[in-house]
Amino acid sequence: MTFKKKRANAKQEIPTSSMPDIIFMLLLFFMVATTLRERDVYVKFKLPEAVAIQKIENKRLISYIWVGKSGKIQLNDNLVKIEDIQDIMYKKRVELPNVIVSLRIDKESNMGVVHDIQQELRKADARRINYSSMLKQ
Amino acid sequence: MVQIKKKKEIEAKIPDAGMSDIVFLLLLFFLVSTTIDVDTGIGLSLPEYVPPEEQEFVPLSKDRLASLNINENGDVLLDGDIIAIPQINEKLRPRIESKINLSSKKKLVVSVKTDRRTNYNLYIQALDQIKFSYAEVQKAYALTAYGKKFEDLTPEENKVVTREKIPIIISIAEPEKIK
Repeated sequence: MTFKKKRANAKQEIPTSSMPDIIFMLLLFFMVATTLRERDVYVKFKLPEAVAIQKIENKRLISYIWVGKSGKIQLNDNLVKIEDIQDIMYKKRVELPNVIVSLRIDKESNMGVVHDIQQELRKADARRINYSSMLKQ
Repeated sequence: MVQIKKKKEIEAKIPDAGMSDIVFLLLLFFLVSTTIDVDTGIGLSLPEYVPPEEQEFVPLSKDRLASLNINENGDVLLDGDIIAIPQINEKLRPRIESKINLSSKKKLVVSVKTDRRTNYNLYIQALDQIKFSYAEVQKAYALTAYGKKFEDLTPEENKVVTREKIPIIISIAEPEKIK
């Protein structure tokens, strides 16, 4: 006696016609989430490590200040002198009242330069800062 | 009669079989080039700038103040005792805890003072320890007072914990001038 194999009569195919649509959606998500404009950093730096760190939620609010190993200072896109920070940051703060300044300072730096920058920021009234640091593993 | 053959219209179709491949390629490009790196760091609010002539001296009782000094050699002084940086947490915690229920004018103030030549990394390590001990106390308080984790608190409860009960007051003193 032969057994007939039971098989459903329905088509055994995964409908793939809408796959491009799904991929398009994924693509759109990534296009929106990507921030392509990466800043060129002209200074060499290595961030310190810490445990009790927070995330900065709103990336649009951030201004960056880099301080490199050699003591060079870069504010957003340009290398600047310490005295210039006040003017630039004051203008920035007028545009963006709750600007956060992310300080990316090389871990071998001295506190003197850090303090000078902080004084400038205080004069410019841009007082929300964030000492950028990596999570200690 | 010669029958004029009607020209058969060729069906116009754009081949779309390869579309998904193209879109896949685009997707891959964006997947690879995206950096979803979040900025992490230790947040702080600087005090308002007051010109030196207008600066006032506010007396602070010794009981409220935890003064942390770091010199250029990397020695750490907490209220006059030499300690190591990893010890800051355990020294500060009981002091923060003892002031949870006091009024806001009696909370602990941690003052961090450095030399101009102090290493930045050391300063961050010390600040990290202070932040860490505050975070631990806040977590413990959330658990005992509300019975839930600090992250699960409602915004109002979070405000009570971080503003009224355990506010983080860190004062960054001006470094001493070295000639």
